[in-house]
Amino acid sequence: DALLSCHRSYRSRPTHGIGKFKYLLPKEVPKKRKEKVQMKEINAGTEYQYGDVNIQMTSYDLCLVEHFAQYVHRLCNRLSIRVNESYAMPTKTSEVLFLEERGSKMQLDAVLTTHQRVVQICGLSSTFAPILLEIIQSNQPEGVHLLMKQHTEADFKSRLKSRPELEELLAEMS
Amino acid sequence: PCRAQPKKKKKVDVKKEQAQKERMKKKLKKLEKAAPELIPIEDFITPLKYSESNRVRSLPTLSPEESERRVLLLKKWCLFKQKQDEAEKKAIKALVESQQEALKELRLESEELFQAAIRRDEGLFPFERDGPRYTPPLPGYDPPEGKCTDITKVYTQ
Repeated sequence: DALLSCHRSYRSRPTHGIGKFKYLLPKEVPKKRKEKVQMKEINAGTEYQYGDVNIQMTSYDLCLVEHFAQYVHRLCNRLSIRVNESYAMPTKTSEVLFLEERGSKMQLDAVLTTHQRVVQICGLSSTFAPILLEIIQSNQPEGVHLLMKQHTEADFKSRLKSRPELEELLAEMS
Repeated sequence: PCRAQPKKKKKVDVKKEQAQKERMKKKLKKLEKAAPELIPIEDFITPLKYSESNRVRSLPTLSPEESERRVLLLKKWCLFKQKQDEAEKKAIKALVESQQEALKELRLESEELFQAAIRRDEGLFPFERDGPRYTPPLPGYDPPEGKCTDITKVYTQ
């Protein structure tokens, strides 16, 4: 115990730092704290540059839309366009029912899932925008619906869970 | 006696209301403190039934001629795709170059038009386009009546 509790360092002696071992152990990764989901500031863009633009790709086919999103992301990387974020929107499931020929009952036909991927880019120049649009359109696969629009707060809010209790309280307060 | 009772009622009411308001404010503060969460995406969660099953697919063994043929086909496909990609890159370069040249000439012509051309197009966004289809729509097709119901799971915090 006397050895461990000694606090004198003897910095001029060659035995300085004797007994240290933590530098030999593998580095511990610091505990990841849950990052709070905050909305980043929306860039409005100047007169010669578009601000935050969302490229939204929707389709029933998951693999196709995923691969197309990857293609668009790599294309932007190659053309040195800054990509802010590349995320997926929650999937929408819908039941398709059709009316039988002889009968009044609705028959279940299929359960379709709609998938959506979003690639957010920033700093698109006004001269290059039509060219980019042309490239993406020419490579658009079958059944994939393309939508390009400016990023708004409502778009961000649609990704978050709804909080009915908070809204109720706010309604009661005001 | 007539005065004392109504006064008591008023006091108690006001206090109760104030207490209620404070409780509501505290609740609101607590709820607002909690950060909003993103809706979990079902695409990225593999359903359990695909990880639990033990059945394994056994592929048939390929003859050397077949594997040879496949490798050569793959090489040809790679070459074809590379040529396609290079042609695309060349086309993009040509587009950009011709655009820059046109803008240069326009600048020499008139500064005003050049400035107007450089400006961003407000009518460009929002832009929507449907992807091409495999087959054109059948003429005279009568679809059966039906409806689509949205059954997405609603997540609440």
